[in-house]
Amino acid sequence: MADTITAVRAATVDRPARPRAFAWNAGLVVGLAMFGLILVVAVVAPFVLGSQATGIGGTAGLGSTAEHPLGTDTLGRDMLARTLVATRATVLMALAATALSAVVGIALGIGVWLAPRRLREFGLRAIEFAVSYPTMLVAIIVAAILGQGMVQVVVAIAVANIAGFARLTANLAAKISTSEYVTTARLMGVPAHRVAVRHVLPNMAEPTLILIAGAFSGALVEISGLSFIGLGAQTPAFDWGTLLNDGLDRIVVNPVVIVGPAVALTFASLAALLVGDGLAAAANPRSNTTRARTTRAAGAPMLAVEEDAVLVADGISVRHGASGRPLVDDVSFTIRRGEVLGIVGESGSGKSLTASVVAKLLGEGLEASARRLELGGVDLLGRVPDRVLASRIGLVYQDPGTALNPAMVLGIQLSDVLRMRLRHSRRDALRLLTQGFRAVKLTDPEGRLRQYPHQLSGGMKQRAMIASAMSTKPDLLIADEPTTALDVTVQREVLTVLKRMNEESGTAVLFISHDLGVVRALCDRVLVMRNGAIVERIDDVAGLSPETVDHPYTKQLLAATPVVTVPSEQTEAHA
Amino acid sequence: MSTTTVDHPSVPGPGAPDAPGATAAAAPRAASLGGAWRRFLLRRAGGLVVNLALLVLVTFLIVQLIPGDPATAIAGDTASLAQVELVRHQLGLDQPLPVQLWHYVAGVVQGDFGDSYKYRAPAMDIVMTAVPYTLTITIVAVLLLLVLGLALGMTVGVLTRGDRHRWLDVTFTAVTGLISSIPTYVLATGFVVVFAVLLHVLPPAYSPAYDFGAAAVLPIASLTVGGTCSVARIVRRETAVILEQDYMRTARGWRLPALSIYAKHMLPNLLTTALTLSGIILTALLGSALITEAVFAWPGLGGVIVQAIAVDKDYPVIRAAVFVIGLISLVITLVIDIILGLIDPRTLGEKRG
Repeated sequence: MADTITAVRAATVDRPARPRAFAWNAGLVVGLAMFGLILVVAVVAPFVLGSQATGIGGTAGLGSTAEHPLGTDTLGRDMLARTLVATRATVLMALAATALSAVVGIALGIGVWLAPRRLREFGLRAIEFAVSYPTMLVAIIVAAILGQGMVQVVVAIAVANIAGFARLTANLAAKISTSEYVTTARLMGVPAHRVAVRHVLPNMAEPTLILIAGAFSGALVEISGLSFIGLGAQTPAFDWGTLLNDGLDRIVVNPVVIVGPAVALTFASLAALLVGDGLAAAANPRSNTTRARTTRAAGAPMLAVEEDAVLVADGISVRHGASGRPLVDDVSFTIRRGEVLGIVGESGSGKSLTASVVAKLLGEGLEASARRLELGGVDLLGRVPDRVLASRIGLVYQDPGTALNPAMVLGIQLSDVLRMRLRHSRRDALRLLTQGFRAVKLTDPEGRLRQYPHQLSGGMKQRAMIASAMSTKPDLLIADEPTTALDVTVQREVLTVLKRMNEESGTAVLFISHDLGVVRALCDRVLVMRNGAIVERIDDVAGLSPETVDHPYTKQLLAATPVVTVPSEQTEAHA
Repeated sequence: MSTTTVDHPSVPGPGAPDAPGATAAAAPRAASLGGAWRRFLLRRAGGLVVNLALLVLVTFLIVQLIPGDPATAIAGDTASLAQVELVRHQLGLDQPLPVQLWHYVAGVVQGDFGDSYKYRAPAMDIVMTAVPYTLTITIVAVLLLLVLGLALGMTVGVLTRGDRHRWLDVTFTAVTGLISSIPTYVLATGFVVVFAVLLHVLPPAYSPAYDFGAAAVLPIASLTVGGTCSVARIVRRETAVILEQDYMRTARGWRLPALSIYAKHMLPNLLTTALTLSGIILTALLGSALITEAVFAWPGLGGVIVQAIAVDKDYPVIRAAVFVIGLISLVITLVIDIILGLIDPRTLGEKRG
């Protein structure tokens, strides 16, 4: 899941629209090279060094010498040669176990996914049960049934890993087959086998390859481990595990003999890790970002400022740090005390970026500048103490479902700012928050404090968020698409709450939306943004009609929006 | 991730104390988690019973599934016909399968897996003597590796957020990758060479002659080091993901101090992942421990089970040991899911186990 989220982010942020290319990276190349080396040794070593590795008659129990850099074992055989020769047996066993578990596991996974619903659910439960068993326990059970030996450990480890492959396959198949692109392809009448070949299989390939790399590394370590404790290869056969075990007996007298198998095992396991991580990284390349910063632009402020302006923003520009691409260009506005200013525009118009500059929460990788940026007399372009920002700016976000911390109860997360930044006691903070909950008409305000976000509906979460934002009695409330994620009836109720908070407290509001209808119902003045610039300033919202606006884009927006009205407090109470 | 969303606060959960008649008249109340917990515990208790039954069945089948004639295989190639028949009788293999299963289940319910062939003592007693040794090193190692792995992964994750400190990112990835690649038993062997053979600071293996604490240091260390690196790698990646989440932006929007942001708002979310993983790590670690014990001649389950399989063909002991190891992993999984539920109640609704 973690990788998917990163990938989605990387794909949506500043990425030219082209198919995702396979990105080679250093780890993958090194890992594959190491793996190639292991394969070469596995093929060649038994031919070249076979006699040295098994021939008896040398000096026994040697330490490191020029002739035997890793010493000799109790029968005088060169440990370096034995380690290299053992590569074939070890790698073959690991490969066989991995291949066996992958083939059987994938077949089982597909079978379960294709099975009728009842059987599928039973199959999935059975797979979950098998996965929860420790690999080593399954291997030991199989070893107890089949006895010890090379074939037996291969079967044991293969059986132990089948469930993992089956689960991944069933999950991936289920996820991909219900994904939007497969549904779309089906609706468009693409034949089933083409859907499977073009859409399902390629998307299963990456995770499966990563799992195979992991399973190989696991199989190698586990098979050698079983050999190490005497359940695997039996004399005269030998692999890295048995070599290590032989070395362990002599560890006090001649510790150098364990170096060979120890290094070999680590080398092979590292190769598999690098390949696995490399494949994962290749599938989800990360983009480089720089830290966000906001600077003062050269030039005298050009904006005429009213007496009672709370916020003065003069010449806000934002550009992408790495590419220098301009995102917001010279946006200026003021907000007066008690005023609601709306910014409307389509996605990508720069309205949210403008708000994030004002809130001093610019995203990573962006650079912003302004000629003047003041909130209630505080210069936001300089260094502002967090306490001042926390008390003067309240924030409400687009999706209350993700903006609240899922692992904390509301009482704690929503009152943190009061305790940490406004130095209220715990009891005071909770009391203020309860008052806030009551003000936004949340039922059972005390009970809500103990609830987790998932126990509330979307509209209730957003009202709780507004209560928290208003609890610091801010000069400015920035609401960034606060109703977009909510359904229409809940939208109205949230807008009503916002309007009432604004009227009762006199807090100025910067309201961002893509919906001119919503903005019109709430705001005193409206700015229309497009491509990072303001294209229209509407001062008379009440008399707004296609005739009173100049810009064709505004006319378009206006033509496309139905009229929304926010009911007054009385009608709401009766509803 | 499936969640138990309570859409309508006016409908109290099954755990709410209101009588049915009073519910309609009562004002909308905030739902409590009582119902979710009750359903979770009921479901998990049911799952535990099913899993235990499967475990009994699996251990029963260990003998029955031996290829060829189990009695001959267990008695060995050199055994006389009379010895084979004795084994057959002892294991009840001369009876019909349902009768065998019935006798086996009746025994297991009383904790009786039969007598060990080698020690002529109840197999369960032999296994239970070894269990504390294995549990000691495993539990200490898991606690250590969770705490160290979380701390390391979080610190590096926070320090390298948004591509800060590139060098730290590269070094961390390389070093933890290398260390977590070393198989536990190889690391253990290396530790013995360095600390026991070369430096003489710690005992090379368990023996009643050594102090128990001193003898336990190397087994615990070898189980901890690799796991810490694996956990730290996962936690680091998860930290990067969580720092991108909307609710972390919300916390920054409240301008909370760094300590509160990371320790209070980030950590619980991280723990959910870390604990989910730790269940997997812990059961895997149990497996590693069985092998690592061999390095230190540690008198735990690993030695018992290997001896029973490879040398003695002592099937009552094998059955008892497999049952106990399976039971331990079941209990571990349950305990971790309960802790998860306490930290993040959303996980209560998940269909697991």
